[in-house]
Amino acid sequence: MRKSMLLVVCAMIFAIGGFAQTTSVTGKVVDEKGAPVSGASVLEKGTKNGTNTATDGAFSLKVKSGATLVVSGLGFEAKQLTASSANGIIRLTPETKELNEVVVTGFGGSLIKKDVTGNIARVKGKDFEFQPSASVDASLQGRAAGVYVNSQSGKLGQSVTVRVRGNSSISASSQPLYVLDGIPITSNDQSSYGGDMNPLTDINPNDIESVEVLKDASAGAIYGSRAANGVILITTKRGKVGKTNVTVNLQTGYSEATKRLPMLNSEQYAELILEGAKYRDDLDGTPISDPNSWTAYVKNDVMDYYSYGLWSKDPKKNYDWQDAVFQKAPYRQADLQVRGGNDKTKFFASFQHLDQTGTIIGNNLQRSTGRMNLDHKANDWLDIGMSMSLSRTFNRRLPDDNAFSNPLQAVALMPMTPFIDPNTGLDAGTPPGDVNIPLYYNPVLSVKYARFTQDVYRTFGNTYLKAKILPGLTFQTEFGLDFLSQNEEGYFQSQTVRNQTRAVRGVGTNNGTFITNYNTNSYFNYTKVTGKHNIAATLGMQYQQSQAKYNFTEGTDFPSNSYQKIASAATKSGGSSSQSDFRFLSYFLRGNYTFNDNYILAVSGRIDQSSRFGKDARSGFFPSVSAGWILSNEKFLQGFKPLSFLKLRASYGVVGNAEIGNFPQLGLFSGDAGYAGAAGQRPSQLRNDNLKWETTNQFDVGIDFGFLNNRITGEIDYYQKKTNGLLLNVNIPATTGFTSQIKNVGKLENSGFEFVLNTQNLVGDFKWTTNLNMAINKGNVTDIQGQIIEGGVSSMNRVQEGYNVGVFYTVEFAGVNPANGDALFYKNTKLADGSLDRTTTNVYSQAQRTVVGDPNPDMVFGVTNTFSYKGFDMSIFFNGVTGSQNNIYGMGRYSSASMLYEDNNTADQLRRWRKPGDITDIPQVRLYRVNGSQASSRYIVDGSYVRLRTASIGYTFNSKKLNKYKIDKMRVYVSGQNLLTFTNYTYWDPEVNADSFDSNIAKGNDFYTPPQPRTFLLGLNVSF
Amino acid sequence: MKNIYSYSKNLLSSALLVALLGVTGCEKRLDISPYQSIADDKALLTEDDVSVTLVGAYDGAQNAAVYGGDIMVLNELIGNTDNINFTGTFAGLSDSYQLQMVANNSFAASTWISSYAAINRCNNVLSAIDKVTSSAARKNSVEGQALFLRASIYFELVRLYAKFVGDGDIATNPGVPLVLKPTGNVTDADNLPRATVKAVYDQVVADLTKAETLLPTSNGFYATKWSAAAQISRVQLMLKNYTEAAAAANRVISTSGRVLNPDFTKLWFTFINNGGTTPSEYLFSIKVTAQDGSNSLNTYFGRTISSIPGTAGRSDCKVKAAHLALYEAGDVRKNFFVLSGGSYYTQKHLDRYGDVPIIRLAEMYLTRAEANFRLGTSVGAAPLQDVNIIRGRVGLAPLATLTLNDILKERSLELAFEGHNVIEAKRLQKNVGVTPWNSPKLLFPIPQREMDVNKNLVQNSGY
Repeated sequence: MRKSMLLVVCAMIFAIGGFAQTTSVTGKVVDEKGAPVSGASVLEKGTKNGTNTATDGAFSLKVKSGATLVVSGLGFEAKQLTASSANGIIRLTPETKELNEVVVTGFGGSLIKKDVTGNIARVKGKDFEFQPSASVDASLQGRAAGVYVNSQSGKLGQSVTVRVRGNSSISASSQPLYVLDGIPITSNDQSSYGGDMNPLTDINPNDIESVEVLKDASAGAIYGSRAANGVILITTKRGKVGKTNVTVNLQTGYSEATKRLPMLNSEQYAELILEGAKYRDDLDGTPISDPNSWTAYVKNDVMDYYSYGLWSKDPKKNYDWQDAVFQKAPYRQADLQVRGGNDKTKFFASFQHLDQTGTIIGNNLQRSTGRMNLDHKANDWLDIGMSMSLSRTFNRRLPDDNAFSNPLQAVALMPMTPFIDPNTGLDAGTPPGDVNIPLYYNPVLSVKYARFTQDVYRTFGNTYLKAKILPGLTFQTEFGLDFLSQNEEGYFQSQTVRNQTRAVRGVGTNNGTFITNYNTNSYFNYTKVTGKHNIAATLGMQYQQSQAKYNFTEGTDFPSNSYQKIASAATKSGGSSSQSDFRFLSYFLRGNYTFNDNYILAVSGRIDQSSRFGKDARSGFFPSVSAGWILSNEKFLQGFKPLSFLKLRASYGVVGNAEIGNFPQLGLFSGDAGYAGAAGQRPSQLRNDNLKWETTNQFDVGIDFGFLNNRITGEIDYYQKKTNGLLLNVNIPATTGFTSQIKNVGKLENSGFEFVLNTQNLVGDFKWTTNLNMAINKGNVTDIQGQIIEGGVSSMNRVQEGYNVGVFYTVEFAGVNPANGDALFYKNTKLADGSLDRTTTNVYSQAQRTVVGDPNPDMVFGVTNTFSYKGFDMSIFFNGVTGSQNNIYGMGRYSSASMLYEDNNTADQLRRWRKPGDITDIPQVRLYRVNGSQASSRYIVDGSYVRLRTASIGYTFNSKKLNKYKIDKMRVYVSGQNLLTFTNYTYWDPEVNADSFDSNIAKGNDFYTPPQPRTFLLGLNVSF
Repeated sequence: MKNIYSYSKNLLSSALLVALLGVTGCEKRLDISPYQSIADDKALLTEDDVSVTLVGAYDGAQNAAVYGGDIMVLNELIGNTDNINFTGTFAGLSDSYQLQMVANNSFAASTWISSYAAINRCNNVLSAIDKVTSSAARKNSVEGQALFLRASIYFELVRLYAKFVGDGDIATNPGVPLVLKPTGNVTDADNLPRATVKAVYDQVVADLTKAETLLPTSNGFYATKWSAAAQISRVQLMLKNYTEAAAAANRVISTSGRVLNPDFTKLWFTFINNGGTTPSEYLFSIKVTAQDGSNSLNTYFGRTISSIPGTAGRSDCKVKAAHLALYEAGDVRKNFFVLSGGSYYTQKHLDRYGDVPIIRLAEMYLTRAEANFRLGTSVGAAPLQDVNIIRGRVGLAPLATLTLNDILKERSLELAFEGHNVIEAKRLQKNVGVTPWNSPKLLFPIPQREMDVNKNLVQNSGY
């Protein structure tokens, strides 16, 4: 750093020292309407020599003859001109960065932001480039208003929850449609082990030029039956005319878990469990000295047994099992990007290697990607091009949260159980030692003696041909391919037999997944400008065909643990192959009409047919209309100086959701009902010939504004989404042999506000910009025709009319009876007058369940502040959610349960009730006697948080010095992710969603779920 | 420029042509079918179709929540604090052990759901039985097996979810809904009320009686005539029809040709020791293989014992010393517990694979003895003789005289941890621990999800 400062100082001295012949420049700076601009800066380029304009816009400055002047004013584009041409009037144009951005609308369409009438959020690739987030969906977190992202857990490469304007479905997927360079890509989980994985991890986020989120119906209708959850258009970088630019970016650093959870130590554990045992002995009238007492059991068969007899020798010896499963994890990433082209051919090429280790032992992600995007102008009327990305993503997986082998479940182990079995010197529980120690399976054994790996080879390819047919009319046809080839291999050595009971002599598995997803788009685009009329239209068709093939082999009985391929398995214990296809055929139309640059009208529509719909409901039509009025172009607002842009817009339209899996409409028998070696079949699904997409009618009204020459710009939107004909797994009496049937039943609504504000707080040498986005969504299930739909940990998530999808519905905890330490619950039974009985009871079954929380946030927001001064740059990005609750009952029932079982408990259980009169929220300890550990609101806790998601500080070296080494630009930086979290959450990480329970309705559950990594990186970026 | 546009026009027309061709070709492309499933109206057309659906019915019965073992685990566990120390963490089991069951007990729900799924498979077989035309014997066998499975499952359901025989009037006590036809379209008519306990028993007896006449005398590990007769003896014992119970047990003992295995300990570990061969003493059992099924009795009663390779289990059910004290010295069964980690575990369920026992021949001797004793008859053999056969096998001296309690004690020890505890208590009207036999706490709830969806159901008292 000192060296670079020296360089800067030298450069300054050099500049000052270089006197030469001077000339005088006198001019006047005006805006686009001719009005003077006062206070504008006029600077001789490359020097400190400069002045500011007076109130009449005039200035005078002595400069070197032949020098270049840089004229900049607040809210204007900076202008460069030679000293000789600067005499006289200098006209500045308003800085309209945000509003002049081109927004991608799908199927070759693009609009200048100011002409957009729908609601499209645009996130630039630059905003998340070179950050330690492995997938594009996670990168969107906090960056687009109305897009809620929850990364669910700290396991690498696992799926991410994304909700655009709330949950618009109950049984069908609520994830948005992802379209990469025109191809709807495979984005749902394909793994066969642990939690859901994220196929978007196969895309290198640094290849992305921009992400457009189509939020309202007018933007989405062109994707018809697939747009109700929002459409996320990912556009990759393409070549640029000019010098070939090579950029190398290197990053290295490490990650650690964001938090450790305070658990009881050995002495505290003994104190509590002996208290619980004494309670039972008192109840039985057994003296605690009795060899058959609970106290004796706890001392001998629990604490001594599970500590190999060491506890009674040294009761203070303590083992924090979190130490055994968390680790400081290295992170390395290298990127190379090459970009260039000439008038005929442009290209973008990139390579990346990422190697990330998990903060939980046994987790590793490696990704290598390569991309080549090519555009070629064949002649005056024909363009051709292609994009091609190849990637390999390797992941050493962790099991799902609800597995004894989940490393984080080690927190349940007793603090007196040593990590190492003193008899064998091996990890506790390793044969030939006693495999029944620790209390539960030691998950460390699965890290040492088992492996499950996922290897994904992914190809995204797209070729296009674009022809100019007539002036203004082009025809484009595209053929795209998304090929996902995945191999998963598992081997569980005999040491893991307590967990993998079939691994007596090893178990090996091998899964293959092959998904070929073809897509063709063909469309005409027409644009015509005549006088004040501006017309653009698109007409085309899309056909998508996806074929998924799966196979599986399993073997047991291996000669030794040195043989881990199924070729060596004496018993081929399992095997399977299967296939599932879906197809969509669609026609679409879009028209935009602008009059006088002030009035904009847009219509679009799509007809969708799909193999997923019933035979009596195969085809759906999805229309939309929207309009915009640019008020700031009207005469009556021209006089209002501070206002530089104002647009009103409104849209209405119909979109659908067809993510219901394949063949939900058919009545089926399945051939998977074999018994003891004989083949069998069973009725597996009830028929519904009328089954179709879910329909969402969405209304959106918004204002786009710009003030002070657009130094302040923003958007405010209000929307209403009404979804009907929900694809619901309707509960039916189980006496029919089925539990549910998919029907179009029920309605729900989402409405909300979105607010975007971009400000340039400081311009000039010290620059400071702020980008803020915020969204409030209110979801409301209006009609599910009496269906009881529950899920999540202990079925505590529920779909309840009048509430958002998946609210927490359980008994309400009323604290602890100070007289006797009993847990109390509110009865909440309905009284004759309709009110609820708020008296309490210690009999759990007397208490009625009620809505006690909601995993969906009321508000999500993100704030980015960027600062730059000379070579320094700094970016600070916070995001947060408020009004959401989490359910910790999954672990709480065992470990925040007044030592009900022998599991280690969280340190807060020390607050338990001990004697009459104690006022506390933790009931009395009663070993193996349930006291307050039933499902209740006690375990529904605040999940709101504000998080310093990313921060970076960088320094870019002076380019002149670097030019000597043929380097255009060199930047060194430090960056971090998840650096700070502000929350009331009591467990590890409020941004959580246990993978074992995850569904549309089961959100916000924490079940020994690994927290997010906190990552620190040092990076170097060089361009030449 | 002109040149370009003439090119272009050709291009335009060919593009439109391609588009149109694409369209007509594409429409048909939407007609695709699943690969692992077939249309329901094409599933039951031939004899083979019916046969594989019967296998599907066995698969349904094999479900862990049905005869895969949960039913036996629950019948053993409910309130059984006298014999078992349950340390498992499954709330549904823990609650039934502590008699704190709630209406949404997950085991009450899964057993109900899976049982009726199996019943629907049986009903599909029975509805298409006319397709079995290769021989009368084959048709009888298929029909008999479907009837046996359906009746057996209803028999389990009515004992788990309804008041026991002897507790009030079975002609008015609600039993469980009786579904005897396969499900096609679901309508309001499928919201069935609970049939009376008597109606369910009548159906069970009728089905089993018919099954016994239809079933073959040997049928591999599938249901035989003797499976049906043995199940009849159980049903009649519950109904206190001792004559019929003795007669059915006697039919099995005297005509099946099955004999008791001379070594009690060889009845178990059927996979570890016998490679999965079902002992001839098993009149009906469910097969569990490495590829198919799981044995819940093993899951919850089992434990990984290092000295017996292949053993597994969650170690949830520890046998209390008080239970071991019930056996006489020298009883082979007394030593059939293994001490591990300071607690005793039964060795009956240490094996992961092999057989989940449902009915053993030994029970027929004990049923015949009890029924004869109560009636003062000696159908087949004198009660003392039957009891001494059971005692002799496990190394105990023969009794000289016999009381009813001797028979009942022998029965409870012989069949310990095989899924009889709460049923025997209710049948004999004895307390379970300190809880009276007819306490509503000993009764499963009708699953909350079923109550929610079917308004014609009435819940058991206490929920």
